[in-house]
Amino acid sequence: MAPPSSSDSSSDHLPEALLKTLGLAVLERVGTGDTFRLIGNPPLWWATTFKTSPESPIAVGPLAPFLQHFLDESETAWRDNHDRVVRSGPWSHRDLTSILHQFEATALTASHRALLLIERIDERFDSIQQLLQQARDQRLHHIDQVKTHERTQTSLTGSLAIATQERDDLLALLQHLDLAAIVTNQEGRVTFASPRCLAWIECPSTTVIGQPWEQSLPIDSADRKQLRQAWKAAVPQRSRHSIRFAGTTPRWIDYEIHEDPQSSERRIILLHDRTEVHHLRQQLNHQMQFHDLVGRSPAMLQIYQLVRDVARVDSTVLIEGETGTGKELIARAIHYSSPRKDRPFIAANCAGLTDSLLGSQLFGHKRGAFTGAIDDHHGLFESADGGTLFLDEIGDIPTSVQTSLLRVLQEKEITRLGETHPRKVNVRILAATHHNLNEDVIRGTFRADLLYRIRVARIHLPPLRDRRDDIPLLAQTLLGQVCAATGKAITDLHPDSLHLLMTYSWPGNVRELKSAVEFAVISARVACLMPSDFPEELRHTQRDHRPPSSQESQHAEPKAQLLKALQQAQGNRTEAAKILGISRATLYRRLLAHHIDVAE
Amino acid sequence: MIQKKICLLGGFAVGKTSLVRRFVTGMFSELYQTTIGVTIEKKTLLVGDQDVTLMIWDLYGKDDFQNMRESYLRGSSGYILVADGMRRSTLDTAEALHQLAQSTLGPVPFVLIVNKADQLKEWEIDEATLARLRHKGWLVFTGSAKTGDGVPELFVQLAQKLLEAA
Repeated sequence: MAPPSSSDSSSDHLPEALLKTLGLAVLERVGTGDTFRLIGNPPLWWATTFKTSPESPIAVGPLAPFLQHFLDESETAWRDNHDRVVRSGPWSHRDLTSILHQFEATALTASHRALLLIERIDERFDSIQQLLQQARDQRLHHIDQVKTHERTQTSLTGSLAIATQERDDLLALLQHLDLAAIVTNQEGRVTFASPRCLAWIECPSTTVIGQPWEQSLPIDSADRKQLRQAWKAAVPQRSRHSIRFAGTTPRWIDYEIHEDPQSSERRIILLHDRTEVHHLRQQLNHQMQFHDLVGRSPAMLQIYQLVRDVARVDSTVLIEGETGTGKELIARAIHYSSPRKDRPFIAANCAGLTDSLLGSQLFGHKRGAFTGAIDDHHGLFESADGGTLFLDEIGDIPTSVQTSLLRVLQEKEITRLGETHPRKVNVRILAATHHNLNEDVIRGTFRADLLYRIRVARIHLPPLRDRRDDIPLLAQTLLGQVCAATGKAITDLHPDSLHLLMTYSWPGNVRELKSAVEFAVISARVACLMPSDFPEELRHTQRDHRPPSSQESQHAEPKAQLLKALQQAQGNRTEAAKILGISRATLYRRLLAHHIDVAE
Repeated sequence: MIQKKICLLGGFAVGKTSLVRRFVTGMFSELYQTTIGVTIEKKTLLVGDQDVTLMIWDLYGKDDFQNMRESYLRGSSGYILVADGMRRSTLDTAEALHQLAQSTLGPVPFVLIVNKADQLKEWEIDEATLARLRHKGWLVFTGSAKTGDGVPELFVQLAQKLLEAA
């Protein structure tokens, strides 16, 4: 055989150099057992990992438990299938200093020689591990995220269920309280409307949610203005009066506007249906009040009915009652309840006027009819043509005028002073007096035939002391009127004040009550009328104070008092009457009784 | 002396390596380091009056990236299935690996440990599920490599079963 060439020699050394470079330990199986011998020089790690002698055959199985397992696995490849290459996959083993290293073994057959390759793969292993670690960390992170999301979802679902339950409870509560609610955002757009509210405004939620609240409510411009002011104002606000929801079922609604506790710019509008209350109040008002008459005592209710009855006919009515009981109010109520309501209502006070003056006032005069008659003048009868003429204090008219009046009532025509031809008039006469006209007829100061003419129907107004139950209502009504006129914000009467008003005898009747309330409002320092605010005489008068008879009342004010009032009023009789709490007619009558000059 | 090969099988990151480390060295590390391939640890136990050396094959966790090599199981006298109580899916993986082990090794002894009992509030595996497995004849442990609870018992129980089966 020829010696190997230099190139052959280098070829022989090439695999060994290659194995050394790759750091592989190559072992060849000796026989069929677990004994191997190292081919060439082992890599450097071999000596620090296994205690073996490079020259001696090596029992591989005991070197590492995994290698023992791998030898078993590789046996078939070495024995039966020489083309098969068996790889162990990575395995860990501690070196002689207990440091863990990563290895991989390969079993194969080459040139009929069973070979075992062992490689330390620390660096390659590290990069693979890093990659796998990264992938698994990401997977774990993803799992964590999914779990967090699931937990959040569970939590939100729970919160939603609780919120839904709370919302349902709240709606049930609102329903139970007969309340409706709207919530608006800072822009005034509806973010929530309760089912009851939607029912009231007769709209589905889809057309309401997101809309400006003003457009969502079926209310008129005045109510809208009121509500808008309340919405914009510092909250909470309550409705000053009910607003009206239009719709197939109109409703009267009270509202409250609150700030949302969660957000000061949001508003909660609570709506109360007051329709029933409104209707009941209307009915009550109807019963309590008739035109400007106030009272719900049986006597007053009877009078209201009487007024309605006489208003339907055109008869003359005599209204009787003490001073201050509201005789003129009754006359006005009759007129404004009658078919003549669109024609004039003229009130004439017959007290304190001379024959000629009263005649001229009532019937008119022709120019030159008497001294001072510088022009033609039509009287009150002509002015009231088609309407109603109210003759107050008819018991005080002079006899001559009584005759003329009788003629008018009989003939329905008047003749102006200084003229000769009569004029037709269509006037309904309503008369009032505080006199007992029957007594006047007996005394001869009043014509009986005139009395029968004017007393076709008669209404007697009770004095206030006979309908004390009306005093609280009257006082409250008068308080409201006086406050509105004076601008003072007094809302209530102290119970002691009410007691005072209830126990006083009210000789001046409702007029006196009104004066007392006016006085108290002026005197009041707080929002409630106290007993000390009222005139002193109320506080020093006993309940059983007997009311003055008509005769006594004529002289109730001593002459000095009348003169003092006139002086205070600087001669103005209307003002003087006010100071004394009596009507102008009564003042005239008392001035005459005390022989005080009544000329203007 | 009796020497037995046992394998730890389970999904990734269920705590196989931590259980072995806790059992062999008594230590625990919070740092998760994935296992690639096989690491073999050895520990001798006294079971009854016999010393039993367990050759504990800590195999890599099964997932989409690494599939279990049946060849690693060969020669095992028993195995420990490991699941993570906080991940329901790892119990499914353990059950799948159980099927693989049974088909490879036949009816050898095994135990199941549901790990991470130190975070019981976070568990997705409920007692009813464990009861179902016990009803099937499985020996089920709950424990924690972190606290060490249930770990020695797990290995001792398996060793006893191995001796009984031998």
